[in-house]
Amino acid sequence: MRNSFLIASREFMDRWSSRSYQLMLVVGPLLILVFTYFLLKFGDQGKSSLRVLIADPTDLLGNKITSNPTKAVEYSFYTTYLDFEEFRDGNRFKEFDAFVEINEKILNNKTVKLFYRERPSMEVKIKLKFELERRVEEIMIDQFTDLSIDKYRQIKQPLNIDFLNVYDPKNQAENERGWVGLFFGAIILFFIGLFGMTILRSTSKDKSNRVVEVLLASVRSSELMLGKIIGIGLSALFQLLVWAFFIIIGLLIFKEYIFIDIFDPSNYEGMQFATDVKNDILLNSNASRYNMFIELIYHRINYGVMIPVFLMFFVASYFFYAAFFMTIGATAGSESDGQQFIIPIFLLLLLSFYAGFEAIYAPESFLALFFAYFPFTAAMTALINVSIGVTTSGAFQIFFAFLFLLLNAFVFIAIAARLFKNGILNSGHRINLKTIFQWLKKR
Amino acid sequence: MIHIDQLSKSFNRKPALSDVSLTIPSGQIYGLLGPNGAGKTTLIRIMNQILKADQGIIQVDGKLLSANHWKDFGYLPEERGLYKSMSVSDTLVFLARLRGLTKYDAQESVRFWLEKFEISSWAKTKIEALSKGMAQKVQFIAAVVHQPNYLILDEPLSGFDPINVELILSELKSMKAEGKTIILSTHNMKSVEEICDHVALLHKSKLIAEGKVHALREKTINGEFIVRFSGNMIALANALWTEFELIDTKEIGENRFQIVVRQRGERTFEELASNLMGKLKLEAIEKRLPSMQEVFLELIAKEEMNNEE
Repeated sequence: MRNSFLIASREFMDRWSSRSYQLMLVVGPLLILVFTYFLLKFGDQGKSSLRVLIADPTDLLGNKITSNPTKAVEYSFYTTYLDFEEFRDGNRFKEFDAFVEINEKILNNKTVKLFYRERPSMEVKIKLKFELERRVEEIMIDQFTDLSIDKYRQIKQPLNIDFLNVYDPKNQAENERGWVGLFFGAIILFFIGLFGMTILRSTSKDKSNRVVEVLLASVRSSELMLGKIIGIGLSALFQLLVWAFFIIIGLLIFKEYIFIDIFDPSNYEGMQFATDVKNDILLNSNASRYNMFIELIYHRINYGVMIPVFLMFFVASYFFYAAFFMTIGATAGSESDGQQFIIPIFLLLLLSFYAGFEAIYAPESFLALFFAYFPFTAAMTALINVSIGVTTSGAFQIFFAFLFLLLNAFVFIAIAARLFKNGILNSGHRINLKTIFQWLKKR
Repeated sequence: MIHIDQLSKSFNRKPALSDVSLTIPSGQIYGLLGPNGAGKTTLIRIMNQILKADQGIIQVDGKLLSANHWKDFGYLPEERGLYKSMSVSDTLVFLARLRGLTKYDAQESVRFWLEKFEISSWAKTKIEALSKGMAQKVQFIAAVVHQPNYLILDEPLSGFDPINVELILSELKSMKAEGKTIILSTHNMKSVEEICDHVALLHKSKLIAEGKVHALREKTINGEFIVRFSGNMIALANALWTEFELIDTKEIGENRFQIVVRQRGERTFEELASNLMGKLKLEAIEKRLPSMQEVFLELIAKEEMNNEE
């Protein structure tokens, strides 16, 4: 084990001294933070508060919009005809950000025009639309029906159909959260793909350098293989932790100092009306999805469970996949020969994404159950299940899936060790199944 | 002492070593000779525990060869290999630690060897920046840095210039003087004659000869004699008559010559001496021992003939 540790340290230091590794330590999280910054910054681009002048020459609205206007929009009324050029150029209108032209046919054509100086944000647009719509609705109820406003709104309520799982009637498992699991799973796959290739290249390089013969005269082949896997794995884990550290710090800075408004829940109180009226447009709007993103990332994931499960599956999956990358590196006659055997491994990595969608959209299906235990896809499925929220039986399933993955990792590492031992000193040949079986049988 | 008993190894049913038994005495330089594909590297790899034998055992000082012996062995493989991106000192410290040295001892030992080979200035140089000869030196140090009792060298002199060949040979001699056992595989027969005490000759996976270098040379009769004399060549020709064949002549002074003659038929050393005496002023007559190259070729040829029969 001492020798495996020495080899692991060397592999780690080899990665550490590589410029590309050092660069990626900083550039990786920076890119993610820049991406997140732009998502937050421009996800709801536009002016977030508006002073609106309502030009209502017929005084249809009666100088009133709502008894409880939102903070984001401040209304003033102008009961004379105003065209947009006058608004644009007139000094007395400079204090207003936008003006709404209420025409006399509004009750028939249900159309108004809003002229703005600076594009309002999605959130402000929605508030404004909602409040104007409500006011016009009140006038129409008054003019065309004998109903009270409350009665009318009661009638207008759409029919809701809640699709509930009979096993989860409270709908505790929310699909949206599954996407966070998918994201975490994707991180595992990304690192496995990246560092799996490093294992393959490092093994091929040692073979072509002939340094492997010097090493094998001092250590067992299994110690050498394990040392390489652990060393490269530690460099992957270290990179991941550095990324996580920088990303968490960055997100906290975004929350506390840069996008204070976005993260202030009181800013969304006004949005609550949207769900009151079940406005489909609003529910499907970008703003809705945008806020869901923040809600998901900052509030709805149980990181206390998510992070340990993530680390467990990260390590087990890494060892499991590393066995394959190591085998290819050790048995291939040349690096290019090994490249073609990478394709099936990457296809299995991609299968994890399919397994992820299956876990999100059809968690009760047989396929989802199969993927939960299938070692190639277990990590992704488990993380999605954890992010969605699991019951006690679900927790046991994840635990057994982890044990099964770990068992497979041990088995495949043992197989890889034998192939590594018999293949590492051979080079210049073309790898084929017959040779692999011969090496597997050889002591 | 290393005792190899009935060692066999085959690859894809092709024998690489067949029933090889050897005893390598301690404190000696032992040469492993044989044409390409004879099984030398396989034997060396088994001794280094890189490969496992199909049959047979190896004992080191009476104990079965095991992982405990790693620290006692040093190895210079034929195909040299080092981590190109590592510095000279880091590489050597790493390899010394793999052989069981502590970090401190490894660093001290590396410092000692770099100074000894007068290459301390390369300590921080990356291996990839070294010339082939420089890298060979570093590779040699990697084999000896942990002060092994048994040093196994596969073609240790290839890639070295004549100056460094001398350096390595003298280093091997001084290690032998310290009581270390050195096993080397080489095609350089001159160096075998110069430094090896014992040799084993492998051919087509089998051991065909083993013994002390001098004894093997003595055993291989070539019927050649070196004669140093004063006189003239006509007198020599008369003296040799048809019983001996003159195969080399060298003038070593005024009317002084050194010749090599080969006996014909059953002629003996005594007959040569009596033929020459009185006809020439003899300075010396001695039996010319065959070179290791000749011994090597002779033994291989004999083995081939035996196989054909």
